[in-house]
Amino acid sequence: MSAPARRRVAITGIGLVTPVGNDVATTWRALLAGRSGGAPITLFDASGFATRIAAEVKDFRNRLVTDRRLLKLANRSHHFALEAAEQALVDAGVRPTAETAPRWGCAVGAGMMTADFADLERTHAHAAADGTLDAGLLLSDDAANDPLVFCRGQAAQGLALLTRRFGIAGYTTSVHTACASGGQALGTALKALRRGRVDRVLAGGFDSMISPIGISGFCLLSALSTDNDTPERASRPFDATRNGFLLGEGAGFVVLEDWALARARGARIYAELAGDGNSLSSYRITDSPPDGDGPIQAMRAALADAGATVDTIDYVNAHGTSTLMNDRSETAALHAVFGARGRSVPVSSTKSTMGHLIAAAGAVEGALCALAIARGELPVNANLRERDADCDLNLVTTPTRTRVRAALSNSFGFGGSNSCLVLRHPEEVDGRPGGRGEEAGP
Amino acid sequence: MTRIVITGSGAVCAAGRQPAEILAAVRAGTSSLRRIEQWDTTHWPAQVAAEIPDFDARAMVADRKLHKLIRRTDLVGLYAAGCALEQSGLVAHRDTLPPPAAAAYSDRSGVIVGSGGGNFENQYDFLPLMTQAGGDLGAFGRELANTVNPMWLLRTLPNNVLGHIGIKYGLKGTNACITSHSVGGLVAVIEALAALRAAEADRIVAVGHETPIEPQMVLYYHGLGLMSAGVLRPFDAGRDGSQFGEGAGALVIETEASALERGAPVLGEVLGGGLASEAQGLLAIREDGDGLVRAIDEALADAGLSPRDVGMVVAHGNGTRASDASEAVALRRVFGDDLPPVTGFKWSFGHLIAAAGIVETVVTLAALQAKVVPGIATLRTLDPACAGLTVAATAQVPRSDVALVLCRGFASTNAALLVRAS
Repeated sequence: MSAPARRRVAITGIGLVTPVGNDVATTWRALLAGRSGGAPITLFDASGFATRIAAEVKDFRNRLVTDRRLLKLANRSHHFALEAAEQALVDAGVRPTAETAPRWGCAVGAGMMTADFADLERTHAHAAADGTLDAGLLLSDDAANDPLVFCRGQAAQGLALLTRRFGIAGYTTSVHTACASGGQALGTALKALRRGRVDRVLAGGFDSMISPIGISGFCLLSALSTDNDTPERASRPFDATRNGFLLGEGAGFVVLEDWALARARGARIYAELAGDGNSLSSYRITDSPPDGDGPIQAMRAALADAGATVDTIDYVNAHGTSTLMNDRSETAALHAVFGARGRSVPVSSTKSTMGHLIAAAGAVEGALCALAIARGELPVNANLRERDADCDLNLVTTPTRTRVRAALSNSFGFGGSNSCLVLRHPEEVDGRPGGRGEEAGP
Repeated sequence: MTRIVITGSGAVCAAGRQPAEILAAVRAGTSSLRRIEQWDTTHWPAQVAAEIPDFDARAMVADRKLHKLIRRTDLVGLYAAGCALEQSGLVAHRDTLPPPAAAAYSDRSGVIVGSGGGNFENQYDFLPLMTQAGGDLGAFGRELANTVNPMWLLRTLPNNVLGHIGIKYGLKGTNACITSHSVGGLVAVIEALAALRAAEADRIVAVGHETPIEPQMVLYYHGLGLMSAGVLRPFDAGRDGSQFGEGAGALVIETEASALERGAPVLGEVLGGGLASEAQGLLAIREDGDGLVRAIDEALADAGLSPRDVGMVVAHGNGTRASDASEAVALRRVFGDDLPPVTGFKWSFGHLIAAAGIVETVVTLAALQAKVVPGIATLRTLDPACAGLTVAATAQVPRSDVALVLCRGFASTNAALLVRAS
């Protein structure tokens, strides 16, 4: 008795809102050029913080989603999510209808922030002026009685807004494994498609922690680069002088679709989402071990799941946070998995340019791998000046045109969750090109 | 298809710290819902919740160093997971294996958690700093490190239970943390089932945990019309809302081969799961039960069962007007006039939000083993809108060894799980 052939999954739409561009084309140009999104923080007065820089999304407005009733319920990260998701659906040229709604899914990696700082300030002024909350005063506190504050702060609100906006009525889920969230969302969607529960999934991640509380959390852990005078150089993954990550924000979404359905409707296919691998490092909450244990298993699982060998991987989008420990541990893991090819496979961390998008990172970077495959171009690992002997990798330092048969995207989160995705060129799947738009430069 | 079996279960909530103890309280008709003790609710419009009595952090997690890194919700999650893992014997078995085999075993052992996600109390850690800074963000930034716990962000992570189970027990396989509100815990079980069938792992501990009883949360739920001012009476004509409980549940779920390998006693079997959305936004619910119907249908198809095979239904039954009425509609649509006995547990230990579905599954397994469908003790008069629903204030008898557990949450999510007791 042989198992039925496993469903293949195509990426047919991409939407991005990132610190280096509010759409796919602008983002991609910046990533090829290594044009950094790092700059002094403008969203609030950060003058007193050890880190006063970040990679903010710039000049953002909702162009595609303008329903004011919906946007009133959205926090900053939800605004990014709605815009990026709409871009992806427009790009895919397919969206849920009343008839297909139950066969559409939605899987998101959502950020961890609750109320906006301004709302916490209102509660502080009214109910905690002396620094300790007086619960009795909450009864008359505006923020604590404002249902909009509650809705915008709910972990499930991003999922709620997306499924309502687009009418998605099948398998829906919201996941959070810190910096691995976005990758896990794509992996979760892949598995739901394979199970046959849905035919198409809107999958992605969104986050914004560039706020007094978000920055505080990372400053307290000394996780951020403090290169306040050179924000565009602050994120330098795998460089010997790296000193922490650059906090970014944004959203990335893809439309995932049953391969046969996508081909049948003549959709442009960027890539196959071919494999997902998950592991827990179970070492420390903030780190993987120096020998790469944890990420190693996740990469191997993703390759095995995709039925791919390391010889076919022509690009690795590294987690590459620009922290001392991550980049060393990830390098060790890449060498363990890739063996002799560990020194030659092209690697870049796009966090060098756009910063670390936290819960959105894995989804955005998965989408970037699909773009690398479809366009035959590799984004650069910017800001590499002084090579670190512990990070002996073939880092992409100039934009490179090359055919990418398959790509690997790494995401490792606080808490120890590791999420790796393998994406494959459409021609490697069925011998046919991806269709319209392929190889077209922006 | 591979049989997916349950070899460990654990739960803690206001009704008890072991599944048997919780079931006994439910069967006795005991409600743990009472006046909130964590703050003075004298003038509050909602004053009742099911708090874990005599909450002792060390009784939940012995390692005191860990207490600085986690919150109350993580403590209960780790406690329930520890109980389930202990009962399953999988860690003890792993530790008898030679090192390479033990490492491989750990890599094939996963963790999937349903977690509540955001809360409000964690942010209060910044209130003293805000007072000190007097509205000046510059001063806020400068004084930050002197005032706020350096581990603040780590204490706030929604995926703490996942990470700390991994570290404590050395489990390193597939993993996920689901933060879609109330369905999280039940979805953890459904995802574990799918992962085991797909051979992504050989065994998985599924956990759901949440401690939502905090003043700001109670106020919001009250403001949205979701909280009862009196008694939580699911499906009752006089019901007026839900009430919070706090707690956690955990199940060790594995392939039959994995359980047989160490001769682990089997408590039950996970048969199938389903998930569906109604695309209505965060709070709205369709009156026709559409999402729940599709979730149940999917679970039945997944398990290869027909409605007639279901021996009892453990409803979401949260006590709100809209949810209970639409749930009754959904059950009639699926089962017609052939409904098995229906019950629910929230009247006894409150709505555990992300922990609700999995704690209720743990209690359901114990009830199936005892061949009893506990009554809804607070039920007085069945709501005509729920006519035909086979609920009772007193115990009924399940018509088979299979139970259907239902769970609904914000963002229009509906989940259904089918389990069998051994």
